[in-house]
Amino acid sequence: MLTALAFRNLWRNRRRTLLTLSAMVVSAALLILCLGVYAGMIDDMLTTTTRLYHGHVVLAAPDYHAHRTLHAHLPESAADLPTPAGVTDMVGRTPRLRAFGLLSAAAGSQPVEILGVDPVREPTVTTLHRQLVAGRYLQAGEAGAAVIGSTLAKKLGVAVGGEVVVVTQAADGSIGNDLLTVRGIFTTGDSRHDGRLVVTPLPWLQQLLVLDGRIHEVVIAVANPLQAFADADRFNAVLPAGIEARDWGDFLPEMREAIVSFDVSRVIIAGILYFATALGILNTCFMSVMERTREFGLLLASGMRPWGIRRLVLLETLFLGLIGSAVGLLGGLLLTWYMQAVGIDLSGTITPITYAGSTILPRLRAVFDPGNFLFPVVMLVVVALVAGFLPANRAARLDPVAALREE
Amino acid sequence: MSALAYAWRSLWRNRRRTLITLTAIALSIMIVQAFHNLAIGIYARMIDDGVRAGSGHLAVYRNGYLESREEGLSFLPGDLAKQVRAIPGVSRVLPRIYLPALAQSSSDSRGILLVGVEPDAERAVNPFLKKLPEDGMLRDLDGRDAVIGKRLLTDLKLAVGRKLVVTAQHRDGTLHSELLRVRGVVETGIAEVDGSLLMVGRQRAALLAGMSGEIHELAIILDRADDDRRVFPALAELTGSRPEVAAVSWKEAMPNLANAIKLDYAGQKFIFVIILLIVTIGVVNTLLMSVMERLREFGVILALGSSPARLRRLVLLEALLLGLAAAALGSMLGSLFTWYLVDTGIDLKNFVPENMEFGGVVFDPVLRAAWDLVWMVRIALFVTGLTVLAAFYPAVKAGRITPVEAMRHS
Amino acid sequence: MTLITLANVFKTYRHGSLEVPALVDFSLVIDSGEFTVLAGPSGSGKTTVLNLVGGLDRPTSGTVTVDNLDVGGAPAGILADYRLRRVGFIFQSYNLIPVLTAAENAEFTLMLQKVPRPERRRRVVALFHELGIAGLEERRPSDLSGGQQQRVAIARALAAFPGVVLADEPTANLDSHTAEELLDLMRDLNTRRGVTFLFSSHDDRVIGRARRVVRLEDGRLASDSAAHR
Repeated sequence: MLTALAFRNLWRNRRRTLLTLSAMVVSAALLILCLGVYAGMIDDMLTTTTRLYHGHVVLAAPDYHAHRTLHAHLPESAADLPTPAGVTDMVGRTPRLRAFGLLSAAAGSQPVEILGVDPVREPTVTTLHRQLVAGRYLQAGEAGAAVIGSTLAKKLGVAVGGEVVVVTQAADGSIGNDLLTVRGIFTTGDSRHDGRLVVTPLPWLQQLLVLDGRIHEVVIAVANPLQAFADADRFNAVLPAGIEARDWGDFLPEMREAIVSFDVSRVIIAGILYFATALGILNTCFMSVMERTREFGLLLASGMRPWGIRRLVLLETLFLGLIGSAVGLLGGLLLTWYMQAVGIDLSGTITPITYAGSTILPRLRAVFDPGNFLFPVVMLVVVALVAGFLPANRAARLDPVAALREE
Repeated sequence: MSALAYAWRSLWRNRRRTLITLTAIALSIMIVQAFHNLAIGIYARMIDDGVRAGSGHLAVYRNGYLESREEGLSFLPGDLAKQVRAIPGVSRVLPRIYLPALAQSSSDSRGILLVGVEPDAERAVNPFLKKLPEDGMLRDLDGRDAVIGKRLLTDLKLAVGRKLVVTAQHRDGTLHSELLRVRGVVETGIAEVDGSLLMVGRQRAALLAGMSGEIHELAIILDRADDDRRVFPALAELTGSRPEVAAVSWKEAMPNLANAIKLDYAGQKFIFVIILLIVTIGVVNTLLMSVMERLREFGVILALGSSPARLRRLVLLEALLLGLAAAALGSMLGSLFTWYLVDTGIDLKNFVPENMEFGGVVFDPVLRAAWDLVWMVRIALFVTGLTVLAAFYPAVKAGRITPVEAMRHS
Repeated sequence: MTLITLANVFKTYRHGSLEVPALVDFSLVIDSGEFTVLAGPSGSGKTTVLNLVGGLDRPTSGTVTVDNLDVGGAPAGILADYRLRRVGFIFQSYNLIPVLTAAENAEFTLMLQKVPRPERRRRVVALFHELGIAGLEERRPSDLSGGQQQRVAIARALAAFPGVVLADEPTANLDSHTAEELLDLMRDLNTRRGVTFLFSSHDDRVIGRARRVVRLEDGRLASDSAAHR
């Protein structure tokens, strides 16, 4: 009975209720959109670093993790160590050898990072092969071929088919010096990769560095990046001495921080956005209570307990909150869906931006994350109840005699 | 009595309702003003750090260098440096050479960026070089001293006083090598810089590349960041006689930083818009309630011979007063909040990781605001306008009242 | 001289699908300077006549003319100006604006007419004196008795020197002593200033003090004490 009464009371002043609801719907829907786009940005950042380059878990010698020392290498067989029990979502792993050097062409020379990869296994871990803007990816068994970043290609003035000279220091202390033919050019949007990354076949780099059969790291991709922390621990439990597993959070501590603190950021954004809504609800509830002073006096006089009145008013704001969040959720879903399916391309306005060791791509795109919907909805209902509390108290504390006298 | 007094008193007839609405508007003005000022303060700090460690508030390049970073695109500064220094508002002029190179120690090698600088001028400006001890800085323009990034130092397993070999491409196309000695170590907190920075005297770098006397960049540090509008035309006039070079602002020279600020501010603006939208809906609601409550009164006023247009104006006047009161209160609160943020700031040391990088600049964990009074006034007036705008629907509603029905009501 | 003419006026209100006749073929002529009461039970159409004459409502058919103005057919802008300059209203429940002082309420129409402030105040102070409420200028309506409020309302109606004052049950909310006092006051004003009064009442004591009594029943003219003319 109380429920039906509360629901009907909401619609006594239809216009006022609808306006208050619209404020709630707008704030909830736009908050959901905000969080979706924010999560999309974080997702972009994580993807550009892990899926384009780092992978999620890296196995290497401890000294290699710390300093990328040329001499901290492993046997190639490390890429086929048994997978520990409990690591269930591994999608691929691949061996890599890395060198730093100078790449020269007619237009000049550039400092580069040379990555020796297995052309067949590497694509199971990173998606660089899908970022090509010219030419093709490396092929198995190929030697002296390279795929380089687009910025680097521009600076060196080379195109697909062009030749470049690599100079680096080999493991035996000699200067490694060889010709490479550019087979493909990629663009990731991350200036650090586009401007300095050179991908070559593993055997060719092993030869250049005089490190036959050796690799620096084994890179592993998993389905859920947040699972990588636990997976790294599982690997460490079974890995032989001299090899250590690290997760992406170790080489991107700021990114991990950003993701872990996402829940806190969510609360802050929601708090700022909802405060205005809360005052609107407070106002509406007060108005509605003041208008019905006589009616509450009558209810009290006819024996209703003060907590009954309080419950009635709170029920009204609860309904308001539930309707507002339901419609807001619908709006938020639609907006998020649009931003996920279509998004907004900003590449005409801004360039990619480096952030915490990662890159924000110049686009707005939302991702679906249940938390981004659940949180604003629950919070809105809570806000409505909190905002309804003062007016409810006021109604419950009325003196029935005075209330009845009031016009 | 005037219409003004009538509107003002009508506004306070329902004290609680008006106060709640006033609070909502004032608090949103406060939040928008304070957060804007905070953002401005943070950006100013980022820009200052960025230009001091980077390419200056303004910089002169050979045409095309900025886009390609091709080391062949250098220029002879001639008297330019001296002339620029004479422009009022210019604090420092820093000629620089940038050479991509290979650094080798006995144990490892890394691709690096060799930067040729004028040691005294750089040390006075660059916050990271300022931290170096007296004997950690380059001594002269053509010596073999090198200041090295912390990460590069450890990657190459070097230490202060140890030697390394740097190889770069000479103008004639051949590779030339040079022996250097580590004199100082810098840590900027930006992994990329710390892992690839090697700083030497300008003349030493020029000799290595065979480009004696030429430079790649003339970085200009100003006394005040907003002096650039005054200095830029004077600078353009100086470079006007030399068509092969051009002056650019830091926004073009450091697009990463400029875009980081742009994106961050766009996100903030979006939240501002939502807040103001919600507040506007609240104002519509309040004013509409107030109009509906006074149907009878409005009916009487119409019966007494007021035109509907006059009644509409009356409602708009009430909204204007509400907006002005909220703007005054909100700006006061916003000023207090800003004052706190300027004076004390927000210390995030315990919340953000050390060396948080954004847009190529290390983020200072103590956030401090800066005053932007013009903007504060503008937003206060904008919100007042928004309040009046929100009153249009209630005003139209009031204008449509027919006196007979209104007076029969209640 | 004829001031008000209602000729064959019909007025029908709609309540949903229901049509309620308020006036049926009602005709009345009132001369300048008359002191006329519209008498009859509630629902007989008294208020409708006043609303039509005051330009607050339009007849369904027939014509309403006041001082040569076709009040029933004039555009809204003209009507607003007509109400402002030529008619004074007194309402049953006073209808003073609660946030304004007594003097400000009385000045209201003058303010709408853009009469300068000192002139407004001068006229209102004189009126308050004449109406026996001098000294109450700065009180708020909530601090005034019913009789005092209605005097303020009369001051408001008279301040702009209208040709006709319309009063809908002006004494209904007052005790009989106050009501009689107020009516005497209005009659006095009618005599001294020559202001035409047209008011409605169902109170016999009030009706007895009018110079002309027009009785209505179910929206029709039932009797008119001036019918011999």
